[in-house]
Amino acid sequence: MKSLLILSTLLLFTGCIKDVKPWEKDMLAKETMKDGGINSLSKKFEEHMYFSKEASKGGNGVAGGGCGCN
Amino acid sequence: MQLKLSIATAVLLIGVSSQAEDYVSFQYLQYNENDNRTTVSAPSIMINKDFGVDYTLNASFVGDAVSGASPTYYDTASGASAFSRGTNLRASDVKYANVEYEDTRLAASLSLTSRFANRDELTIGLNRSSESDFYSSEVSAEYMHWLDDSKNQSISLGLSYQYNEILVTCVENSSCSVDVASGASQKMDANLINAQLSFSQNIDSRSYAKFALYTILEDGYLTNPYMNVVRNYNEILDTADIVAENRPDSKTAFGGSVKYANALTDTISLQLAYRYYSDDWGISSNTLDSDVYFQYNEDWIFKLGLRGYVQSEADFYSADKDYFTNETYA
Repeated sequence: MKSLLILSTLLLFTGCIKDVKPWEKDMLAKETMKDGGINSLSKKFEEHMYFSKEASKGGNGVAGGGCGCN
Repeated sequence: MQLKLSIATAVLLIGVSSQAEDYVSFQYLQYNENDNRTTVSAPSIMINKDFGVDYTLNASFVGDAVSGASPTYYDTASGASAFSRGTNLRASDVKYANVEYEDTRLAASLSLTSRFANRDELTIGLNRSSESDFYSSEVSAEYMHWLDDSKNQSISLGLSYQYNEILVTCVENSSCSVDVASGASQKMDANLINAQLSFSQNIDSRSYAKFALYTILEDGYLTNPYMNVVRNYNEILDTADIVAENRPDSKTAFGGSVKYANALTDTISLQLAYRYYSDDWGISSNTLDSDVYFQYNEDWIFKLGLRGYVQSEADFYSADKDYFTNETYA
């Protein structure tokens, strides 16, 4: 948790952030740059697979549905 | 602290949808593990429909066929079944091995995203799924607010509530309050609340980062009804009991994640994610996820992923207490 805060702070205050104009966002808008990947259904499928194998979950949004696979 | 390291791989056959705003996507998802531990085949359909620029409706339906074998303790004298429990068994008959299972899961989800005049977004979602012994209903809401005029910074708050019903077959040593001799089933329930606060920042024209903090609160029947443990081991008499696992009936978890995406070239993108998780059962984990996308042309995108996961065990599974002791849980 501590490392998360340090990383966030570094990123925000080291001056590496640029003011990206709307006409400069073509790369950011690409399907392969989407948060969660190009396919939300396969992402949800992967999350259920990992949840069935691991004892931890979360961090990828609040919606996802239940699964009797733990 | 005992650490477990696992790297899971999945083979996914995906019918990639087009980039049109309105689409119907048919997919076939496949997951296989070695030793026939788990095989999942999941045909699915997703429909996305925009209503003007202010509303988007998304609906999906998935059918999972799951089969495989899960390791548990059982009495070899009764056969290889998760229900091979009993008391005063011959300890030498107690084995820890894979027990076969199969199940089918049907899941449907519906979400509506509304965009306001300032382009903030509110997404309301419903999820419902059913298995032969598990039913789940979920409602969720997420609000995304732009923090600047250039729309390079946003903050999101999400909240979901999930109600689960678990059908527990009543055999000896299960959590049932009904007559175990009748072979009846009893419905148990569990509640889950998930809240997440996230912050997203465009770093430059080719990369962005996202930070999230979340908590998950669970209460109710959190036990795996098919998992057995061994109790009352008597080395001299060579006897032992196989009883149902009994986990605590509440769990509070906290976590945080960092994601970073970078368009390395016009056709190759990299997505990295790190997640930290901790709960009051004593489990903490670190997850590192990396995906590389290669856009071959307008129709084909290839993805290569690698995941590393390290987890500590729950307090009641601590290494200095083996399965042949009388712990409250585990």
